Amino acid sequence: MNLSFFDQFMSPHLMGIPLILISMLFPALLFPTPGNRWITNRLTTLQSWFLHLITKQLLTPLNKNGHKWALILTSLMTLLLTINLLGLLPYTFTPTTQLSMNMALAFPLWLATLLTGLRNQPSASLGHLLPEGTPTPLIPALIMIETTSLLIRPLALGVRLTANLTAGHLLIQLISTATTALLTIMPTISFLTTIILLLLTILEVAVAMIQAYVFVLLLSLYLQENI
Amino acid sequence: VLHATRPLHTTQQCLAPVPPLPEKGGEVRHGLIPEEFFQFLYPKTGVTGPYMLGTGLLLYLLSKEIYVINHETVASFCILSVIIYAVKKYGADVAAFADKLNEEKVAKALAVKNEAIKDLETAIEQEKKEQWRVEGRSYLFDAKRNNIAMLLEANYRERLLTVYSEVKKRLDYQVAMQNLKRRKEQDHMIQWVENSVVQSITPQQQKESIAKCILDLKALSKSVQAAV
Repeated sequence: MNLSFFDQFMSPHLMGIPLILISMLFPALLFPTPGNRWITNRLTTLQSWFLHLITKQLLTPLNKNGHKWALILTSLMTLLLTINLLGLLPYTFTPTTQLSMNMALAFPLWLATLLTGLRNQPSASLGHLLPEGTPTPLIPALIMIETTSLLIRPLALGVRLTANLTAGHLLIQLISTATTALLTIMPTISFLTTIILLLLTILEVAVAMIQAYVFVLLLSLYLQENI
Repeated sequence: VLHATRPLHTTQQCLAPVPPLPEKGGEVRHGLIPEEFFQFLYPKTGVTGPYMLGTGLLLYLLSKEIYVINHETVASFCILSVIIYAVKKYGADVAAFADKLNEEKVAKALAVKNEAIKDLETAIEQEKKEQWRVEGRSYLFDAKRNNIAMLLEANYRERLLTVYSEVKKRLDYQVAMQNLKRRKEQDHMIQWVENSVVQSITPQQQKESIAKCILDLKALSKSVQAAV
């Protein structure tokens, strides 16, 4: 298997059958259903505790209407977290490196928050376009700026996730290529590069978790404004 | 479907109690390979058998370039070392945390049960006390009866006293009336006698009595002078 740097980001195909759907749904296999037991095994207990923690964190600032979004936000968070973390394993494909998938997640959800706000409380949601306490001459310019910032949001959400993960994976690959190449020439430098690679891997683990959290957190913030 | 798989007269026909989960998962060696594999190979190849198999497989893959060493190998080395380090260092703590969560759940339920048992025991104690109190009921009633009798007696005596004082008041009134009448009659009589005496003294008698008095006084004064 001679890999180029782009093989990691190519959507996997097996004999012409696209496997992207399987790779997106695979994380669901890793979370066992709690079932009917009262005292569950360790994995199920930890999983329930973790889901409880996320749900509480995300939903505390939302009012009662926002609680309808609990399921989608929590499951989105779990999906992104798992996909990101699994992508760090060798020879795996990370679906969130594809801009198409991230835009497909960000755009409809952002649009849903926007339309909810415009439908239920149009003046309040449009009122967010002008921050409080702005001097009067600045109002037209500020409204344009805020509108631009509003419309950029889905793009930002999607691209943020894509860019972070793609950049991280690419960096790992580049530095490990450097390590491999230097192994025969200058082993000491190769060893130092391995140290760098270890630190980078730890960073990538952190980034994977943080990016998933940020994505869902921003969506919940947009929801807070509008619901 | 459930009814078809449940024989009517040969089993207990009930899914409860649910059979318990096994305490521990399957034994694994090096975190990946089940112990059964080693036991499976033990009769033919002994203890080192599976390791020889593993080493041989690995070398075969490497030498035939079925597995090519590329940049992913180094990356996989890094991520796997991070994962193994994290598991070795924090694995026991995470397991203890999960066990603690379950323990707390069970402890809460047990606490409810124990509270209920304690409350019921307290209720039993109080009931026993009440039953002991019932035994002393006759004393209580006697004391109460005595109380009431004393109250009645006191009340009766009070009323008796009232009657007595009322009657005495009436009688005193009558006596006072009689006394007053007697005194008034006496006064009136004395007054009348005095009035008639004073009226009966005529002026002639008055002059004669006055002259007599003067003569008496003179005679007295003479006798007194002589005595001095």
